[in-house]
Amino acid sequence: MDFPDNLFPTFFLPGPPGLSDSPASYLAPAWSDYMQLLKPPQTQDPSINPQHEASYVTKWGRWKSDTPGPLPFLLPGADPWDPELMSQDLLFRGRVKQPARAKATIDVIEQLNHFLWDHGDIAFGPLGMLLQENFNLGEKKKSRKNKMVMNTEWLLRDLNGYQPKGCPWAHLSTRQRRFSLLGGTVLGEEVENLLGGLLHEELETRWKRLLLDEASTGGALGWVPGAKPHHGQLVYPTGRAHDQLNFQKVKLSPTNEPQALGDPSHILLRGPVRQVVTRTIQGEALVAVRSDHHCALWKLEHRGPPEPLQVLEMEKEATGISLSPHLPGELAVCTRSGAVCLWSPQHGLQQIHKDPETFVFKDPSSWRWADFTAHPRVLTVADRTGLRFADARAPSDCGELLFRVGAEASCQRGERVLLAQYLGTPDPLPLSPTLHLVCTQFSLYLLDERLPLVPLLKWNHGLLSPPLLAQLLPPPYPEAPLPLLLGGLGGHLRMLHLSVGSGRTPQLAAPPQSLPSLIDSLPGFPVLEPHGQQLLQERLRAPLTGLAAVVPPGCPSPTMLLFQLSAAGDVFYQRLWLQPDTSSESAGSPSTDHAEDLGLNSHSQTSATSSLGTVSEPSAVSWKPRAVACCRRWLKTLLQVPPTLPSWTPPTFSQHHLRWLKEENKGKVQEGLRAAMAEGRLLLQGDLAPLPPSDPPPAHEPFGTEDKLSERLEASWERKGAIWWDGQRDGSRLPRKRQSREKRRTQLSSSFSSVRSTSDFSDVNSPLPHPPKTPSPLHRMSETSQSLELSQELWVKNIPRERRQTLRDYLAVLPSPDSGNCSIPQFQNPSSQSLSTSEPGKCSVPCSQNPRTQTLFSPLPESYSAFYSQNPNSQSLYSQNPNSQSLYSPEPAFNSVFHSQNSSIQKLPSRHTPSLAGSQPLRKKPRMGF
Amino acid sequence: MDAFSEELMGFVQKDNQVEASKDPVPEIHLPWLSQHIQSTGSHGQKGTNFAQTTSICLNFIQEALLKHQWQRASEFLQCYLQTLEDINSQKRQMAPEIIWKLGSTILYNHPKSNVETFSAFADRMKNIGVQNYLKISLQHALYLLHNGMVEDAYRNLNQAESWRYGEMSASQEKLIKLIQAYRGLLDYYTWSKKRTEVSSFDMDGFATNAATQDMHSYFRQASVNLHEIIKIPGVWDTFVKSYVEMLEFYGDQDGARQVLTDYAYDNNFPSNPNAHIYLYKFLKKEKAPEDKLISVLKILHQIVPSHKIMLEFHMLLKKSNKEEHHKLGLEVLLAILDFSGCTENITAWSYLAKYLKQIIKGKHREWVQEGWSSRKDWWPTFHFSYYLAKKNWKENRILALKKAFTSGILLGKVKHQKIILSSGVGRPMFESSFCLLLAE
Repeated sequence: MDFPDNLFPTFFLPGPPGLSDSPASYLAPAWSDYMQLLKPPQTQDPSINPQHEASYVTKWGRWKSDTPGPLPFLLPGADPWDPELMSQDLLFRGRVKQPARAKATIDVIEQLNHFLWDHGDIAFGPLGMLLQENFNLGEKKKSRKNKMVMNTEWLLRDLNGYQPKGCPWAHLSTRQRRFSLLGGTVLGEEVENLLGGLLHEELETRWKRLLLDEASTGGALGWVPGAKPHHGQLVYPTGRAHDQLNFQKVKLSPTNEPQALGDPSHILLRGPVRQVVTRTIQGEALVAVRSDHHCALWKLEHRGPPEPLQVLEMEKEATGISLSPHLPGELAVCTRSGAVCLWSPQHGLQQIHKDPETFVFKDPSSWRWADFTAHPRVLTVADRTGLRFADARAPSDCGELLFRVGAEASCQRGERVLLAQYLGTPDPLPLSPTLHLVCTQFSLYLLDERLPLVPLLKWNHGLLSPPLLAQLLPPPYPEAPLPLLLGGLGGHLRMLHLSVGSGRTPQLAAPPQSLPSLIDSLPGFPVLEPHGQQLLQERLRAPLTGLAAVVPPGCPSPTMLLFQLSAAGDVFYQRLWLQPDTSSESAGSPSTDHAEDLGLNSHSQTSATSSLGTVSEPSAVSWKPRAVACCRRWLKTLLQVPPTLPSWTPPTFSQHHLRWLKEENKGKVQEGLRAAMAEGRLLLQGDLAPLPPSDPPPAHEPFGTEDKLSERLEASWERKGAIWWDGQRDGSRLPRKRQSREKRRTQLSSSFSSVRSTSDFSDVNSPLPHPPKTPSPLHRMSETSQSLELSQELWVKNIPRERRQTLRDYLAVLPSPDSGNCSIPQFQNPSSQSLSTSEPGKCSVPCSQNPRTQTLFSPLPESYSAFYSQNPNSQSLYSQNPNSQSLYSPEPAFNSVFHSQNSSIQKLPSRHTPSLAGSQPLRKKPRMGF
Repeated sequence: MDAFSEELMGFVQKDNQVEASKDPVPEIHLPWLSQHIQSTGSHGQKGTNFAQTTSICLNFIQEALLKHQWQRASEFLQCYLQTLEDINSQKRQMAPEIIWKLGSTILYNHPKSNVETFSAFADRMKNIGVQNYLKISLQHALYLLHNGMVEDAYRNLNQAESWRYGEMSASQEKLIKLIQAYRGLLDYYTWSKKRTEVSSFDMDGFATNAATQDMHSYFRQASVNLHEIIKIPGVWDTFVKSYVEMLEFYGDQDGARQVLTDYAYDNNFPSNPNAHIYLYKFLKKEKAPEDKLISVLKILHQIVPSHKIMLEFHMLLKKSNKEEHHKLGLEVLLAILDFSGCTENITAWSYLAKYLKQIIKGKHREWVQEGWSSRKDWWPTFHFSYYLAKKNWKENRILALKKAFTSGILLGKVKHQKIILSSGVGRPMFESSFCLLLAE
């Protein structure tokens, strides 16, 4: 094998990473990215023989894609997928705002309190075990001398006798009191510390996994070429637990899209599949799979199902597996214990390296990785701090280092190895089989095992997710550079072109390039209603867990098929062509024809600048109908998948609304509460109150031609929303509602016995006109208030003058007849409910006696109408009174209980709003059409 | 102070010590952490508009670079220049370096850019933020060199060398050394040009003398600078080669040998196979004794057993009179064939076949056994499998026959040959080689 006889000049200064003053940090060939394209200086005069070569584009062409983004290859699986824990779930930044709506919050202390009461045996059991030695539980004294033993005989007797469990007012004996005073703090602390510690630990592991999910290192998508040149198999896991290993036969075509042949055959495993490695060596196609505690090896036959060869069970979690490119059926496996083994089904396991400590400096991570080298008996072992050789012929723990996170490679502070990969393959590549790829969170390094510690190439990849996937491909043309793909967990893809002739230093042949990720395909999908759109976005944003590039043979121009596997189990593909550069001739004339397409291709942010003229730059491709149809088909299946139930939903009730419940529901609530308590189960929403008496809004059909949502939106846009709604509603409900309204009004009016008799009032009330179809009061506010005043004037004449003012006051709070059917009960509730708790019989206590309600009820009709016109005066009027605030603030919660999960129910509450004098959302912003 | 406080203080001190004695290596730094935090607290503070626009602009530039949209990137870069006026002093200091990186990458790749544009940009950037003067000068010179403009590059390096600004940091001193070394390399170019001129002169006397004088002055300039850099640990292949060439020309063989020996055997230097090759070639040219050559290659054999010069090493060992060298000769051959890149190296296989024959003839069967014992569990699958025999036979019959012959000796059976025999076509060829084997 030839070794490059002329290397790029570099300093070699050992030291810890991140020496800011280290000249190596900018003198390595990586200091500037374009330096990668320069050749090392020769001993010949460059003016005689200039080194400048034609660029990659002019020499070989450009890699172009048919579509702006990858297309779905297989239909989505039947299992729903929901994104795992996200940073939003764990982090909260910024000030805690006073929530506009009263939300139920989890009171940790109370929860803990319940836990300690209910499961005292679990909570205190271990503590009791610890203290057992020091307590004498009534046995005869063993030794008098032991002062550390306390007699608890009497204490127990006190506890056992007449102590009702859990009663805080129970009688305390002096003994108990003394014990709880002395031991209470200590015993309490223990449990708290234990639980707190566990909680903290759990949060920490979740957070760490969120930031760096090392389990999927290496990728779980494999490609196995078949016996015929255009056939092959994709191997990938699906299922919610990633425990179903699929073997999907694929037919490649030189010109058309790849085809999936039939349904995949699958094997159900007992653990999640983390990594899939495939390799065809000496005509034998092998698939190795790594799960958390198992590794398995299959042999793929051209016909028939995959033949399992051997399964390995591990005590500690396996972190890496790789198949030997030299010897069929030989594998390298490593686990968290720091052990690296050579494994083959014939010869079994051979431990090669075991060191729980990291190589270069101390790092807490127990992640290990093993791969092969050009010598079949020498492995590389990687941990977060470096790479080292391990010889299978003479196992020892101190092989030579190949790579070290340090000043030699001009590493930064806090830099760690995330992926190490041997780039040699049995295929006759023009590449010397001694190259190794090392990826850290910042950079990519290329190392030659014959020149350890000095990277031949370093490129700052700038990926905003851990680069855990890499694949080197054969060159498109015999002399051309080799494409190297790098994939980040977040879906970012980069393509590099390595020019590696024998006897030449590996170099980048062209500036690195980004390839579209799954989320770039979003414009190819039809626009959905928000819920579906979010589902689709989440699905497309799922972490990238597998990458397999395939070069179909016999293509007229070099082609590459890029399969991508997401954590949701979706397999997408994209076809890339290497097209000869045609724009170099027309480089002189600025072309703007593809400027429009730029916006489509890139993210929405960039579309603003898409009008920039471009000069011979890669043109964007647009979505073709066929691709869109493909996306549409996939989406249709995806939307049929039942959505996942959220793992946890916050309780939507609080104590407040129990107080505020309608009277007729109260008995039922109490029953429900009792039943739930008796059965010892959770209090469900159904126990508390029936769902709102109106029909749920029509479910939205995304693909239907009859779209009720848009109808309704249209109607409300024309200010006829309420009419539409009434039209939709069941007419039979109206009479019943009116009845209840009458009833409540009677109750309320009876409290004004001094003002008028009940019958009088109802007489007055009854002739009031009731329009059959009322526009939403929000839309016609001024009209409503006017009509109210007018109607007052009509009958006010019959009333003695001294009572008119009182009546006016009363009417001021009484909503207008046309909007009143829902609003009155709301208003009435505070008084009736609070009273009913103490004296259910008396409902007719005058409101004026209540100081709180008095202040609320005091506003005159002017201020009433002024409130709705958003007068700041009236606002201050309401906010001045803290009582009113506290009194009315639960209202929204009340709404949220009854109307929760009805996204379009907002129309309905809008009918209530006139009466919600103190409610905040209304004051905050005007609605549409106001 | 009472006992309790004393005890407490003791604990506190102990804790501090524990913390201080912890490894100073920082924890893993994840560049995407800030992204996670930003995505949660969108309503929290975000920084100024200025910082936002510049960071968005930087993202656009990087995106355009990755899509090879050089024109677009250059237009964004014009807007990005505002970072030079960032109120955040740390960012302001970083700005020139980032702009230089982005700008030089764009100009290097932009189809309409030329050397003049690049030079103009580099000259401007050198003087913004003095800290980068040396780095930019060096890169500029390398760019010019890459385009064959040696004179401009020389002028640039000269300017950079004479640049002074306050106290020089340690890294800047090293950088100056590197700049000087590159200037020395350019002096060497001129020197070698003069040398060819002088050798082509048929004139006598004065003109030749003046030219030689001129040449000598270039040698002195170059040697001073090159000598300096190769003392610092690093990979200096080009510098060492040129320096040694000049030394050789002036007959300083000892100096040249010293330079090469230091370059190869200094422990502070990385183990660079080229260093050993240079030394070996120098010694070979010098007609050094074979033992000397063998000892040089023996070290290289330990570092890089797969190097192609190992075949030459094998021949050297074979020619040697010592028996241990003969034994090593076999090991060298076997070690070459251990590597996956050399499995189809016909020369190695034919050498091995021949040498095995010779060894067995020389009654040293135990050497073969020794070499074979560590390989017997994997060589058969690695080299002599059925699949490989068929493949070799199809692609390269000579190789197949050499391998068949070797496998016959090593395996003691006729495995590989059997396969070739069974494939039919190889019968006549195989039989001849088999007869050869039997004749031994």
